[in-house]
Amino acid sequence: MILEHLRLRRSVTLLATGALPGKEAAAARAHVERCPRCRADHDEVVALMARLGEDPVRGAEPDMPLPVLVALVNARVERTLTGPKAVWGWRLVSLPAAAAAALAAWFLVPPVVYHFRPELDPARRAPAVAAQAAVVSEGALLRLERNVAREQAVLYLAEAQDVLVNVAASPRDCERTEPPAREARVDLEAESRRSRELLARRTLLVEADEAAVLSARPVLDDVDQMLREVATLESCARARDLARLREEMDKRNLLMKMRLMQRELAG
Amino acid sequence: MARLAAGDRDALEPLMGRHYKRVYRIALGYLRNPEDALDVVQETFVRAFAHAARWDGAAEVAPWLARIAVNQSIDRYRRNRRRRESFSPLEEGDHQESLKAPDISPERRTLSEELGDRIARAVQGLPETQRAVFVLRHYEEMSLPEIAASLGLRLGTVKSSLHRAVHRLRERLSGLPAGRA
Repeated sequence: MILEHLRLRRSVTLLATGALPGKEAAAARAHVERCPRCRADHDEVVALMARLGEDPVRGAEPDMPLPVLVALVNARVERTLTGPKAVWGWRLVSLPAAAAAALAAWFLVPPVVYHFRPELDPARRAPAVAAQAAVVSEGALLRLERNVAREQAVLYLAEAQDVLVNVAASPRDCERTEPPAREARVDLEAESRRSRELLARRTLLVEADEAAVLSARPVLDDVDQMLREVATLESCARARDLARLREEMDKRNLLMKMRLMQRELAG
Repeated sequence: MARLAAGDRDALEPLMGRHYKRVYRIALGYLRNPEDALDVVQETFVRAFAHAARWDGAAEVAPWLARIAVNQSIDRYRRNRRRRESFSPLEEGDHQESLKAPDISPERRTLSEELGDRIARAVQGLPETQRAVFVLRHYEEMSLPEIAASLGLRLGTVKSSLHRAVHRLRERLSGLPAGRA
């Protein structure tokens, strides 16, 4: 069965990376011993991890003495304390507002962006904005706008994929029903909640520039529909409702399409 | 951390002394650029100072710092990418090309440098969440629950992300020469 294989493949990979905890590792190891295909997969990942273990970054250390780093951090803290309060406030704006602000910044101040350094005094940046604002071409603006829209769509698809993979894998049995349910139920509370959150954010994430993500529209529509179905499930969903969703996802090859579309949008 | 939350800047040095190498490796694993990684180290501790009051006293400091470091690395990566796109408008499509190290003659390049370059390109091609999970697991050997706590993700998401990251790396690193050992 495809979905069971998906679950086992994941365990086999995690076993090979050494990340799987004891009990799960024992179960995965037992499966690897019985399944030649999974054993081959496991051995390949073990070999890959051995090569990745030789990556020089693993033992890398900063090429700067600690006292110098501390002094630099102190200097930045000093600037923060004496600078405008807005420096710490910008992260609090919502994602769409931040995207809009970033777009505006890209449209209006490319020379400033080019010379941008985090420690640059805002007071020194201001005059450059007015002086150079007129040099951005219409084409560059459209390109930047399109890239942001595509990034937003990739983000939306990646988050939706996480939700749907969790749905497709093996949710835990639900133990909250009182009295105990007559038929099998699974715990989909988190997936259902995340689906609702994603759908609520979807308009802001994806529809800022429809033309830029036109090719993704059929996949996005399928994803929306599936998320809506997950969102409307009870937190203790009937196992057969979940099975129906899985069948639907399999039939549409939805997870594969989502992966391919993310790659296409990301270029 | 309690001293830091109270605004005591002298508390920065011992905190940095304990954690800066770790934060550096996380940033370097994510960004693959020592200068950017050092900048992320600084910004991580500046933010730790600024947000120390929000730190939950019962929580471990290391995962909290790891989370800040990953967020800072992602921000830095996005900023670099936008800068590249903005000033290389003809570079559509495969932006992995722009991540390649400059050509150096094979004689001058050691095996580990070449391996590092290939791994760098492969890791930088991972989506953000997968890359963050892989970096915390591979370079810091954090357990899956620790990674989930650091990144604010569900354990299942961490497992799926690591699985997908490893398989994507396997595709991209196929043909990697066998180890020296």
